[in-house]
Amino acid sequence: MELAREMVHGEGPAVEVAAGAAGGFGTDATEVAAALRRAASPDGVLVLMDLGSAVLSAALSLELSAPSYPVRLSSAPLVEGLVAAVARAAGGADLEVVAREAEAALVPKVSTLAQPVAERPVAPSADPAAGVSDTSVRLTLINPLGLHARPAAQIATAVGSLAATVAVEAGGRRADATSSLELLTLGAGQGAEITVTATGADAVRAIDAVRELVLAGFGELEAG
Amino acid sequence: MGTLTVTDAVPVDRLVAWLSSFRDAVHEQGAYLTELDSAIGDADHGVNLVRGMDAVMAAVDPPPSTPGELLKKVGMTLVTSVGGASGPLYGTFFLRGAAAAGDASALDGAALLTMLRAGLEGIVARGKAEPGDKTMYDALAPALAAFERSLSAGEHLAAAARAAAGAAADGRDATEPMLALKGRASYLGERSVGHIDPGAASSALLFEALADSLDAR
Repeated sequence: MELAREMVHGEGPAVEVAAGAAGGFGTDATEVAAALRRAASPDGVLVLMDLGSAVLSAALSLELSAPSYPVRLSSAPLVEGLVAAVARAAGGADLEVVAREAEAALVPKVSTLAQPVAERPVAPSADPAAGVSDTSVRLTLINPLGLHARPAAQIATAVGSLAATVAVEAGGRRADATSSLELLTLGAGQGAEITVTATGADAVRAIDAVRELVLAGFGELEAG
Repeated sequence: MGTLTVTDAVPVDRLVAWLSSFRDAVHEQGAYLTELDSAIGDADHGVNLVRGMDAVMAAVDPPPSTPGELLKKVGMTLVTSVGGASGPLYGTFFLRGAAAAGDASALDGAALLTMLRAGLEGIVARGKAEPGDKTMYDALAPALAAFERSLSAGEHLAAAARAAAGAAADGRDATEPMLALKGRASYLGERSVGHIDPGAASSALLFEALADSLDAR
């Protein structure tokens, strides 16, 4: 809680805690329902939880309280997710964006600790298949949220059916462009530079497809 | 209170006797349940259920006037007093059972079956357990099936409950070789094999208590 509040300097969304049952460990669904009522907002409520009874009690609390406002049960990691969610919500983001941000909250830690991956030098020429047919382009992400879940899925979908091996590199890391999950772990935010490399018969089409998506801001510019 | 037949209805005081018998059983077997839970969980199942059922018996004295109100009280009390995962799971079981019982003044065999089935469906909705996941489901589901089979065959309620208790015990024992796929035990992977699931064990006690309370005394 304190960790999360430090992020927003006293101004932030309502954060309510429902932990412990009958004075001990565990959770009490009626306490969760009461916390939901205290945090109630037409903008919605994001519920973060750890494991075991917390998940069951959170789900049961919805059954007990039948809230009239949107409530999301988040699969985000509790500590990282809370910090990310509070920071994002304080910035005025809506429930969906806050929920997405919380769920992506492990990415920075994963990237930092995954040293063998992080320190692996970017060496496209090491790929023996990289021959005359390979092509690449450097692009800057202009959409506000960068390469988050939806854009990652859009790229993966766009190149998935093409006869080309496509990779996206950012910040010294490389991801298979057909895997939205790998793309997510690049953690490329707004303004990040990405390099798209493609090999194979459809290499040019693949590069064009990704370029088109990035330049269009993944269709998020009007909404943002 | 003699043996109940299938057309007999179980009134509130019989259901209170069921709960009381379950409370006694978790007191008696609490250490065993916690021991099972220390092998593959967080070593609190017995302690949690003892606390929960003590709170339940205090909350239903004097008992509410209908089975539905009684079961609702039981569910809410378990939800607020148990703490561990068995709180929301058993809580959901009784709350859904309460809704199914409606405002009937007593539950006959069919109504009892409907109540128990609604409770089990609630547990499945909550915990997403499937057969063979090494959970309480693996004791409860066979118990309900046996209860239904026995009632359909025209047996007395008490006999049906006894058949259900036997099936629950078999189901409990069958969890021993299973690999846990739900709950805290699932973190142990292969190491969960060779231990009886504590939730299945307490579920078997619940049905044994039901059989005892419906038997002639």
